[in-house]
Amino acid sequence: MRRVAIGLVFPFAVVVLWELLGRAGLASEDGFSRPSLVAVALAKSLADGTLLQQTGETFISAVIGLLIAAVTAVATGAVLGLFRTLERVTTLTVEALRPIPSVALIPVALLVFGFGQNMSVAVVAFACFWPMLIITISAVRGIDPRLIEVGRMMGFSLATRIRKFALPAALPGIMVGFRIASGIAIVVAVTVEIAANPRGLGYGMIVAQQSLHADLMWATLVWLGVVGWFANWGLLALERRWLRWFWTQREA
Amino acid sequence: MMRRAAWAAASLAFLVAVVLAWKLVADAKLVNPMFLPAPDRAFATLAGWIESGELWDPLSKTVWRMFAGWIAASLAGIALGAAIASSRRARDLFAPSVEFLRPLPASAVLPPAALLLGLSDTMIVSVIAFGTVWPILLGSIHGFKALDPRLTEVARMLRFGPLQRMFKFQLPNALPEIFAGMRVSLALALILTVVAEMLSSQPGLGHMVLVAARAFRSADIFAGIFVLGVLGFLTNSLMQYLEAYLLRWRPAHSGG
Amino acid sequence: MTVSGAAGAPPVLAARGVSLAFGAPGAARTILSDLSFEVPEREFVCIVGPSGCGKTTLLRVLAGLVPATAGEAQFQGRRVIAPQPDIAIIFQDYGRALLPWRTVSGNIALAFEARGIPKSEHARRSAPLLAEMRLTEHAHKFPAELSGGMQQRVQIARCLAQEPRVLLMDEPFGALDAITRQTLQDELARLCESEHRTVLFVTHDLEEAIYLGDRVIALAANPGRIVEIIDVDLPRPRHQLETREHPRFLDYRHRLFVHLGHD
Repeated sequence: MRRVAIGLVFPFAVVVLWELLGRAGLASEDGFSRPSLVAVALAKSLADGTLLQQTGETFISAVIGLLIAAVTAVATGAVLGLFRTLERVTTLTVEALRPIPSVALIPVALLVFGFGQNMSVAVVAFACFWPMLIITISAVRGIDPRLIEVGRMMGFSLATRIRKFALPAALPGIMVGFRIASGIAIVVAVTVEIAANPRGLGYGMIVAQQSLHADLMWATLVWLGVVGWFANWGLLALERRWLRWFWTQREA
Repeated sequence: MMRRAAWAAASLAFLVAVVLAWKLVADAKLVNPMFLPAPDRAFATLAGWIESGELWDPLSKTVWRMFAGWIAASLAGIALGAAIASSRRARDLFAPSVEFLRPLPASAVLPPAALLLGLSDTMIVSVIAFGTVWPILLGSIHGFKALDPRLTEVARMLRFGPLQRMFKFQLPNALPEIFAGMRVSLALALILTVVAEMLSSQPGLGHMVLVAARAFRSADIFAGIFVLGVLGFLTNSLMQYLEAYLLRWRPAHSGG
Repeated sequence: MTVSGAAGAPPVLAARGVSLAFGAPGAARTILSDLSFEVPEREFVCIVGPSGCGKTTLLRVLAGLVPATAGEAQFQGRRVIAPQPDIAIIFQDYGRALLPWRTVSGNIALAFEARGIPKSEHARRSAPLLAEMRLTEHAHKFPAELSGGMQQRVQIARCLAQEPRVLLMDEPFGALDAITRQTLQDELARLCESEHRTVLFVTHDLEEAIYLGDRVIALAANPGRIVEIIDVDLPRPRHQLETREHPRFLDYRHRLFVHLGHD
């Protein structure tokens, strides 16, 4: 507990200093604002629902994009992981597409979908696909080959073998990939909003900045930080719970 | 060796097949050519850029900003990390804040920076430096913390002063973790540069492709994506080679 | 028990009433209790004792790494309170004592750098050391590429590069297999003999102590105290087979065993 208290000293000091500097007028730019004003703006924005609406927009884009990426990446990864030949043949294509920064897709997505949710979803899906693909391939390749043999000998179809044998065994690895991708999803969603898309928390910050409402901008940023932290923490807790349940299930 | 070459050829063949499929789809106009240009159109645009020299100015600006910001972030991150790691008190004070800021999108520093610094080159480089310092800082803190106490005793027996200990012992020891952070940061720097350019309409690759999008010039967009992909690939390869050389002393089975 | 060396110049290394205790007063544990002995020049002195008798701690006190709570360690008559350039210590965990990011040459050069020797001199000075420790063809390799025995040789070479007046060795061969251990024992003996080195060698292996030493100091545990000092009168150079079957060797071994029990 004491550790937590010490950890809060620095942020607390920053906030206090910021407030004092703002009041003393020492910060020349209006852009700096003051924690007290930021807090007011935060409360107002929460009360009138804009912040929550924006949060919802960002999150929905992130979640949908993540799910699309997860489903396609796990399916593709499972197949590529099981069939070494396929993986070898596609490796150059994967390595050619993977280094493309997701933000580079923003113009294409903009062109195809125009402004709106679908554009964000598309870019998020692209960004989350590759790490999940790589991790799934590696997780599936790490499965005990005898397990796959058993599936084949029992005469199951490919789809069933993936469903009953490959995926459960690769699940822990896939879960880690999912958690990593979820972090990416939120970050990419916000980034797309900052760069181009007029919705969500990213856009909220841009609008505030462009209309010189510094306190609202900082308030949105703080909110984003808090929400992002909770999301990250929640995902970790979820992953732990899930894996624990998963392992106890297997022992049963 | 033969098998490796065979697989590489097969892989290449697959990629070529994908590009061919792309061409067929585009030519048959299965997808609106405004969205999906034929690959030869995109490459023609790219070739045009290179010939006319149009590519170099935005490309060099993007690359310069990316590296300037990243190098500034590296120097600051390493120095700060060393300072923070050196005392337990400093670690307890600062490390939690750094950890808390980790999930925050680096691009979120853009609106504040735009507000405070305006839309300029300085702003972009500052954003990249500020946004990419965190992975390096974290890696640096972890790396400097971890010197084997036996090595500290060796340093004592040889009676090295604090400066010598830093450069002969602590810095090389921290390098793997610092380098891992620098690698993540470089990828992040590319992304941030592109976004900053899009936002601030400063000349650069990001701005170039965004303008092309607004003007519905799909071939330009795809040419731009290609260049960005190559840039991403080259920077990643650069880091991989550097790592393989600088960290070649690591035992084969060491974990990341 | 004290044994005095030659009259006149102070011995290279000495312990005078060294005691070390840990913990708060009242609940303190005594690790070392009133140890006194001398290491004269050119002698190979072995300290042998069971695990936990404090022999490693004693070595660290003499190295200046750890202060004694009572009494003092002396180097050439002067109190040792911090590491000295003339005292080199070789650790048992060689893997952790080498800089993994430097080659064999680089690790040896560390000692030259500590002494302020210019870089241009390093190659020339390290050549004989590399040859002596049979590392010449491995000079460009990193520790991770070397076997345990080779790594320990590198550590020894680095310590020799310090040009110390006395070598402290903390169970240097304890983590090695029996064959490598014997090989290194003989190499060490040959080296110290030809260079007239002063060595203080700590081990739990009774036979190793007798085999290598001119004198063996036996330390019992809880608290660490001297229970026996044996002057080893065996012909040099020592031989793994003949020396170990020598009647006096067996006699010393018997005496140590009686005092120390199993190791």
